[in-house]
Amino acid sequence: MSLNKFSELFLNLDSSNSINKKLDILKNYFATNDYLENSWSIYLLTGKKNKRFISGKLLKSFFSDIYEFPLWLIDTCYLRVGDSAEVITLLLNSKNIGKNKVNKDISLDELLSKTLPELAILKQDEKKLRVKEIWAELAKENLLIFNKILTGTFRVGVSIGLITKSIAKLINLDEAIISHRLMGDFEPSAKSYKFLINNKIDLEELNYKPYPFLLANTFEKKITEESINNFQYEWKWDGIRIQLIKRSGKVSIWTRGQDLVNRSFPELVENTLYIKDDFVVDGELLVWNFEDELPMNFSFLQKRINRKAPSKSIQNNLPIIFIAYDLLELKGEDKRELNLGNRRINLEKNFHKWINESEKDISNIFKISNLLFPKNWEEAENLKNNSRENGTEGLVIKNKNSIYSSGRKKGIWWKYKVDPMQLDAVLIYAKGGSGKRAGLYTDYSFALWKDGQLIKFASAYSGLNNAEIKDLDKWIRKNTIEKFGPVRSVKPEMVFEISFENIQVSNRHKSGISVRFPRISKWRKDKNFKDADTLATAHKLMMNKL
Amino acid sequence: MIKDSSNLIKYTDKGLYCELADTWIDPHKPVNRALITHAHMDHFTFGCNEYISTYETAMILKERIGSEINIKTCEYGKEFKINGINISFHPSGHILGSSQIKFKFAEERWLITGDFKRQKDETCKEFEKVKTDYLISESTFGLPIFKWEETQKTAFDISKWINSAPNKTSLLFCYSLGKAQRLLNELSKTNFKNNIFTHTTIYKMNKCYKKLGIDICDTNKFDKTQDIDEFKGGLVLLPPTLYKRSFLKKFKEIQTGFASGWMSIRALRKRSGYDKGFAISDHADWEDILKTITESEAKNVFFIMEIVKL
Repeated sequence: MSLNKFSELFLNLDSSNSINKKLDILKNYFATNDYLENSWSIYLLTGKKNKRFISGKLLKSFFSDIYEFPLWLIDTCYLRVGDSAEVITLLLNSKNIGKNKVNKDISLDELLSKTLPELAILKQDEKKLRVKEIWAELAKENLLIFNKILTGTFRVGVSIGLITKSIAKLINLDEAIISHRLMGDFEPSAKSYKFLINNKIDLEELNYKPYPFLLANTFEKKITEESINNFQYEWKWDGIRIQLIKRSGKVSIWTRGQDLVNRSFPELVENTLYIKDDFVVDGELLVWNFEDELPMNFSFLQKRINRKAPSKSIQNNLPIIFIAYDLLELKGEDKRELNLGNRRINLEKNFHKWINESEKDISNIFKISNLLFPKNWEEAENLKNNSRENGTEGLVIKNKNSIYSSGRKKGIWWKYKVDPMQLDAVLIYAKGGSGKRAGLYTDYSFALWKDGQLIKFASAYSGLNNAEIKDLDKWIRKNTIEKFGPVRSVKPEMVFEISFENIQVSNRHKSGISVRFPRISKWRKDKNFKDADTLATAHKLMMNKL
Repeated sequence: MIKDSSNLIKYTDKGLYCELADTWIDPHKPVNRALITHAHMDHFTFGCNEYISTYETAMILKERIGSEINIKTCEYGKEFKINGINISFHPSGHILGSSQIKFKFAEERWLITGDFKRQKDETCKEFEKVKTDYLISESTFGLPIFKWEETQKTAFDISKWINSAPNKTSLLFCYSLGKAQRLLNELSKTNFKNNIFTHTTIYKMNKCYKKLGIDICDTNKFDKTQDIDEFKGGLVLLPPTLYKRSFLKKFKEIQTGFASGWMSIRALRKRSGYDKGFAISDHADWEDILKTITESEAKNVFFIMEIVKL
C-alpha cells in the first residue's frame, strides 16, 4: 500500500508482454492492497486525466538548477530517451540520488492528495526545493514513478479493458458491470473502490454514468454474403459520439472518450430538460450549417468542445445539433438487451413524442438519424461512395438482430467509410519521435509543388511499419540538409502517398489548405519527387468534394 | 616522410590509419597490415595480408572464422616496431584478448582505446591505465544517462527473473562472444543452480575461453531442433540474431530477456520486444569514459561514434 508497491507493479507490468501474466499481476496487486490505494492505482493506471503537477520542461530546468547541469546536455539525453521524467530519473541515478537503505515510503493517497497538490501551489523556488527534498527521500526504485506522476505522464501498457477484467475476475462479477462502474469520472476514494467491487448491483449508484459504448468494426467484404435486409443503414457522421443521459431530472452529456461535456454545450442541457421522460440516448453531436443543411467542419466542433461556458454569440454562430441513433434506457429501464429492430421502433416512437409534447420547440436541436434503404449491396456501395455530398464519411451498417453490447465486438456494427482522399507528397522535414519512438526520426512533414517550389502541406506520424521506419530513419540521417534543434530538413527525394479524410481552406497554413487525419498510406519508392502532386491538385480536390 | 606526429593517426574511409607504420587499426576494408583490437566481427575484415593481435584474440578469431588468416601475436605491454614506430598492446577490459593500442613516435604518444570498459570482469584482463598525449576513444554510451549497476546486482536480477518463472523457460539473448561468458561467470557466483543451455555459437566460445584458462561453468549445448518448452525453470542463452518470431513462435512457455547496455532506456526496451531488459554492457559508461580521459592525461581527445544497433 505504497509507492514502493506501485513501483513494483509498474516494473512487473512493464516487463511482460503476456496478457495473461499482466492479468495475474493486476489481480494479485488489487487483492493484496487496501481500498484507498487500489482506487488511486486505478486512477493512475486508467490514466485518463492524470493531473500534471509540473511540466516536463520545468522538471528539466529544476534538475539543471539544482545540480548545475547544462540544459543542452539534458536535451541531448532527451533525444535518446524521449521522456522527460525518465531522463531526469536516469540523471538522478547517475548522481546517486535516492537512498537505497532506509527509504521513506509514502502512500499513493498521501502523495496524490496531499504532497503533490501542496507542492503545486508553491512558488517556483520553493517548488524546486521541495522537489529536491522528495528526490532525496525516495528510494531509487521509486524515482521514475514519482517523476512520471509529478509530470502527469504516468502510463503503462495495460488497457482499461484489462483492468476491468482483472477486477471482474477478482470478485467474480460480470465484466460488463465493472466496465459500467468504471465509466465516467472515477474519483479515487476507498468508497469508490468499495463500490467498484460491490457484489450487489445497485442501479441507483450508476445514476450519472454512461453505458459502455458499442463500437463499430471496419467493413468487411464478407458481410455482403448476407442478405441486405439483415441490416439497418445510417450515415456515418464526422462529429463526436455522445451518450445523452437524463435521469431523475439531471442531464449529463458523455463523450466516447468518457468526458463529461455539459459545460461546453449548455444549450443541449437546457433543451434536454424540456423532455419529460428519463432516458439514455446514443448519438452524434455536430455543429450544423442550417442554411446548407450540412454539418460544419470538425474544427468548429473542436472549438465548441474546448470552450467551456460558451457565450450566446458562439452558441448562435456555431449552432449544434444532436442526432439520436439508439435508445439504451427509458424511464430507468435498461433497454440494451432488446434487439436493434425493437430499439429503433422504441426510439422513433419516443423521440417524436418528446418533440411533440415539449413546451418549447426543440426540433431544431434534436434530430433522429435517418435510415437508408439500399435494395442491394451495390446500392449500399453507391451510397457510401457519394456520402461526401451530404457531409458524411460513409455508412454505419448495423445488425438488426443484435443487442447493444459493449466494446468493439465483431459483427454488430460496421463502419463502411468512403475511400480517403490521397495526394503524393515529398518528404521535406523530419523530427525525432518521443516515447516509444525516441531516437528515431518518425514525425514527418510533406510538401506539394507550387511554381517549382515545394510547399509544406501536412505532417504525419503513422502508417509506416517498423522496418520502414528504420529504413527511413537511416535515409534521413544520411540525407540531412540542415538541423534546427530536433528537426532536420532533408533532401527532397522521397515521395509518399498521404491519405486524409477531409480538406479545407486554412489561413493558418502557408499552403492555404489543411487536411484532416493525414497519414502515410504508401512509400512511393517508384515515384520521382518531381512527379509528386501539386497544390493546384489539392485545391481541385477541395472544390470537387461537394 | 612526415615528421610531425600531430597527425600520426588519421581517420580514413577504411578506418584508423597510421601512415608512418603503414598500418590500419580494425579496418573495415581489406588492407595490407591490420592491428586488431579484439575479436568481435565488426572490428575484423577478411582479406588483409597480415593481422596482428594478442594471442587470445588470435585464438578466438581462428575459432570463429577458421585458421586461414596470417595472424601474428604479441604480448600485452611489450613494445615492437613497425617502420620505426613503437607499438604496444594493453588490456582494455572489453572482452578476452581485447586491447588498447599505443603508438609512440618522436616523443609523442597516441593511444587508441578500442572498445573498453572499467567494470570488473573476471573473464578478461582488467583495463590498464595508459598515459598518452593523443587519445582516440569510443563513446557508444557517451551520455550521462548511462550508469551501470554493479555486475553482481545484474546477475542477481537475472537469476531472480529466471526463478520467478519456474514453469517457464527463460531465454536470455546476448552477444555470443564476451557478454555470454561474462554472464555465465557472474551467474555461477550467485548460487544459480538451474540448468543452463547455450546455443552452439556460445558453446563454442565457452570452450575457447576455457582453453585460454578462463573459468566458465559447464552448460548443455542447445541447437534449434530441441524443444525449448522442455527446459522448464532453465536458462537458455542465445545470440540476438535468433530473436525472430518464426523461431520463438513454436514455444509457448517462455519468457525472453536481452542483456545489453541499451536496455537501460525504456523506449529501446519496449521497441526491442523482449519481455525484460538487463542493462549490462562491455563498454564504459559516462563516468568511466570521463575518468579514462582524465587518467590518460591526454591533451587531445578524439571520439569515434558508433551507430546504435539492436
